[in-house]
Amino acid sequence: MNRFSRRDVLRLGGAGAAGVLLAACGKQAGVEESKNVKSVGVMPEAEGLSNVEVTDIVLLRTAASLEYNAIDTYEAALGLGVFTGAFAAAGDIAKRLRDDHRGHADAINGLVTQLGGKPFTCGNPRLNEIYISPALALITDADNENPALDVVVLAHALENLAAQTYQGVVTLLSDKALRQAAMTIGQDEARHAAVLAQALNPGIAGVLPSVNEATGKPNVATVPGAFGPLTPISVTVGPVNADGTRNSLILETPSLNSLAYDDVTCA
Amino acid sequence: MTLPAAVTPPTKADRELLAFANSAEFAARDLYAAAAALPAFNDEEKAMLVGFHDHHRAAGQALAGTVGALATNVRSDDVFNAFRGRIQGSDKNSVLDALRELENTLANTHLSLVGALGGTEGAALVASILNIQARQSAALAILAGRSLDDALINGAESLAPGVGS
Repeated sequence: MNRFSRRDVLRLGGAGAAGVLLAACGKQAGVEESKNVKSVGVMPEAEGLSNVEVTDIVLLRTAASLEYNAIDTYEAALGLGVFTGAFAAAGDIAKRLRDDHRGHADAINGLVTQLGGKPFTCGNPRLNEIYISPALALITDADNENPALDVVVLAHALENLAAQTYQGVVTLLSDKALRQAAMTIGQDEARHAAVLAQALNPGIAGVLPSVNEATGKPNVATVPGAFGPLTPISVTVGPVNADGTRNSLILETPSLNSLAYDDVTCA
Repeated sequence: MTLPAAVTPPTKADRELLAFANSAEFAARDLYAAAAALPAFNDEEKAMLVGFHDHHRAAGQALAGTVGALATNVRSDDVFNAFRGRIQGSDKNSVLDALRELENTLANTHLSLVGALGGTEGAALVASILNIQARQSAALAILAGRSLDDALINGAESLAPGVGS
């Protein structure tokens, strides 16, 4: 006759309970197979990234998308009806810069067509989603005390973004002639940024970098340094929050998740 | 995902073009030094002119860094002499106009270089200098009270690479 100690009985009982638990976790009738890691419930199939190429066409389509971002932003700004009184001149500048961007978009899309690509004729969806729409929502907030000034701040940031984008693609474009074409427009965008910088911080004091003595923050500079920057651009717009601060957005030039690849279309 | 090729260093032909840009930048540096010494400008205006002088010096030095021993690090007398006669007198706006033409000339010269350079390292440096000179040109137009077109349009002829170096 076998004799079990109390310790043996407890050990066997534990093993049996673990077996029941593992069986419960195994394949069950009516439960769909999933290729994902073990999880509770059913998860959708994992979708891989399409096999995209960052070609000259993609880079130029992306540049065109930025031009449409600018056109749309100037259109929205002009539609707000804020360019009155002291800002009337800013309205005239906005119209002029919008028209320049239309010319740039046509020129860039002309190159895209020459290369056998499909022109991109709308704003960059990703940049709209993460930068421009949130900024415009803040600017048009009912509590915002100075939407006209904020519109110029946003336009200045977008012009800087465009200038940086054209400068940045010089190392990516494979064709020398395309690099030159890009910088022909990049030079225009830099000039746009300079004009708007002077609107925000006018006169000789606004030309070179300086610091606001009251806030300790850098003032807008028409000429920010000896070399064209490729750094993120901070934009502070909208109403003053309860804690006395205002919202800031950090704009960056288009990257792998915001390029106008061949399969990106205007909705 | 297929990405563009990595940044490529200057070729021998590139280095000759960049050496030309190096000498043109040092000519601009010396022209701004001449402008900043004019008694017509007040201290604030002189500070800006010295700032632009420093930008051209930095550009020349950076270009020298990419071309190595080929850099002359000496100004182009052809470029200097082409503008020096207009950097004088008491009419500040005339001097600012001359400096704007200098900036526009250099900007378009750099633009032609971007289209001529084989290596992207040199092209990227020149592009970053070009963007700043476009801004400096626009600032000079605004400060001289010129039109929006004067600030936005660059109608200057580029210098022919290899000439004036």
